[in-house]
Amino acid sequence: MNEELTLQQAETLLAPYNKETLHPEPNRLDVVVTSDDLHAAVTALHDAKWGYLCAITGLDNGPEANQMEALYHFAQDSAITTLRVRAPRSAEASVPTIADIIPPAVFFERELHEMLGFDVKGLSDSSRLFLPDDFPADLYPMRTDYKQDQPVPVVEVVPDLVPDEPTKIGNRFIVPIGPQHPALKEPGHFEFTVDGEIVTGGRMRLGYAHRGIEKAAESRNWFQNLYLFERVCGICSHIHATAYCQGVEKLAHVEVPARAQAIRELVSGLERIHSHLLWLGVAAHEAGFDTLFMYSWRDRETVMNILESLTGNRVHYSANVLGGVKFDVNLEQIKTIREGLDYLEGRVNHYLQVATTDAMLLQRTRGIGTINREEAELYGLVGPTARASGVVRDIRVEAPYGAYTTFPVTAVTDTAGDLEARMIVRLKEMLVTCASLRTILDNLPVGDLTTRMPRKVPAGETISRVEAPRGELFYFIKSDGTENPARVHLRTPSICNWTSVLEKAVGAQLADIPMMIAGMDPCFSCNDRLVTVVRPNESHTWSWRELRDYGIEHYKSSMNKGK
Amino acid sequence: MEKTMDETIVKTNNMWKQVLDQVQGWSRLNSPWAVHFNSGSCNGCDIEILATLTPRYDVERFGIKLKGSPRHADVLIATGPVTRQARERLLRVYEQMPAPKFVVAVGTCSISGGAFLGCYNCLGGIDQVIPVDVFIPGCPPRPEAVIDGIVQLLTALKSGTYKAPQKPLVVQENWL
Repeated sequence: MNEELTLQQAETLLAPYNKETLHPEPNRLDVVVTSDDLHAAVTALHDAKWGYLCAITGLDNGPEANQMEALYHFAQDSAITTLRVRAPRSAEASVPTIADIIPPAVFFERELHEMLGFDVKGLSDSSRLFLPDDFPADLYPMRTDYKQDQPVPVVEVVPDLVPDEPTKIGNRFIVPIGPQHPALKEPGHFEFTVDGEIVTGGRMRLGYAHRGIEKAAESRNWFQNLYLFERVCGICSHIHATAYCQGVEKLAHVEVPARAQAIRELVSGLERIHSHLLWLGVAAHEAGFDTLFMYSWRDRETVMNILESLTGNRVHYSANVLGGVKFDVNLEQIKTIREGLDYLEGRVNHYLQVATTDAMLLQRTRGIGTINREEAELYGLVGPTARASGVVRDIRVEAPYGAYTTFPVTAVTDTAGDLEARMIVRLKEMLVTCASLRTILDNLPVGDLTTRMPRKVPAGETISRVEAPRGELFYFIKSDGTENPARVHLRTPSICNWTSVLEKAVGAQLADIPMMIAGMDPCFSCNDRLVTVVRPNESHTWSWRELRDYGIEHYKSSMNKGK
Repeated sequence: MEKTMDETIVKTNNMWKQVLDQVQGWSRLNSPWAVHFNSGSCNGCDIEILATLTPRYDVERFGIKLKGSPRHADVLIATGPVTRQARERLLRVYEQMPAPKFVVAVGTCSISGGAFLGCYNCLGGIDQVIPVDVFIPGCPPRPEAVIDGIVQLLTALKSGTYKAPQKPLVVQENWL
């Protein structure tokens, strides 16, 4: 209905560039465009405000077909339009950059360049996104002929290239943070250029946690992969598995029993509470409010207990199997969950009061890192970070999946867009989750837990989107009819939100940076990719070599003065 | 005359050194400071390590404290299958720690690579890079297991049964 209408709109918009139209699934429209038309096609969608860019998937169709594809996925509610650009499997494979229209696309384009060897014309920064520094430049791991166990020579690492022309540098210092740093529980490297206390530029290098899961998925079968994708992230492992299962079930035309779907939503709700409480603690810790950190983590143990009693494990619950769930919920467990929810609701209400009234905390959160609605849309933010800026971007509401069609939830939004708003949105989301979990427990459908799943999944492509605690999680799954997937591409919420931190870091106090990083609830192991440079016109990020040269110069000149 | 003076000083110094060493050893055993490094793990182990600090498990009651800087730490708690990019950093963190230093590898993937075995960017275990004293299996191990692992290390040190681990396998230039 609505979906069809939205897709028709997109088709009309893209008509001038359309070379071939495909309808792989009822909610999807695939339009083949040429590389030359891509920029215009994206502009057409963007100008008409048709959806937002979800992800860019690179596909290698193998040496026989001698073809690679770049898939630009745009989503408007549950409708997805994909622009497919086809290119030969050679060095000439190129696409124009669309980062001038959609800034966050730069991360996706760099991934495309690095993993498949697409030449992205006009890309502002083509340095390493998530491959290690010592990885050879002409090896592309996501090409089909790359074997994951093939020996990879180590290339000499050039830490930072000195720009050709000298740039005027004021009294600026560079503050390196990470990969091992007390403020970071996960590895990531940041370099903030500061002028006094004010940040003038930010740069980051992730990829310390890049393991190569997408490649590994191709060598494991559909069932083994479930365990692999659970381990993309330890905090939101259930939602990764749900996204994967949902996609594979769609490809295999398997209907998951209603009870299993309800249990999936139950676990993902509990996971959301655990993740948000964890985040609250970490954010409070960054703000120097360790008491709140200890309290929220103490209360988090309530959820951990429930999850453990349900699934047998505290962290990787492994609740999903392809075609259903592994465990049932009995009356005694329902009682425990209810008691836990009652307790948590009381505590969350208390934290909500703390977050809005505690003068010390407010000084660290109110009016800091403010992102307004337009910016949030421009940066393509997702999850609570976007919702705190007034953008309703919640897959559970926009494109309900699984049990969310029977047990709908409401999206919590705020308009302030600062750190306080993000804290409030997350806290209120816990309350909403508690309420929706109670509804599920009251109306738990009766029936089977699993449906039989075939070993081989029919050939096809599908897109699975779910709402992780941090925002929209996107899975693209391609099957070639065998026991192993042909390609699984995932785009995690954190990668979309980084732009917000680095753009907003400029002009902020250095002391607010850890809070701002924590404010978006980054998950390094999830996104484990990307580098970015923010260079406002008047400032320049120093490379290590420049800084070293400057240091030597400075030392020499001060020695001379001393004489 | 001068010679004997020198000898006395050396003797006194040695005595002081002995006493100081004893005090140092005693305090190290009673309050080991740890530094945490994630070498590419999925975060599961890291949140469990963090959970050991919080009220339910509260390792600070054993004197164990998580420190920010490797230069203050006695124990390195490392997680993850060691990615290519994290390898250099893991080595650097290890080298920055003052001797004597101990390494605790937390989680299955830090022991063998676990679920990530064979991934192109993973080395497959902390012990491929640095010597490891204690391995704590589990995906992720429970906080109790993490505490138990550290306590086992301390017990071994106290009772004198501690044996330094072997040097890690030499990682070849062409290691993948």
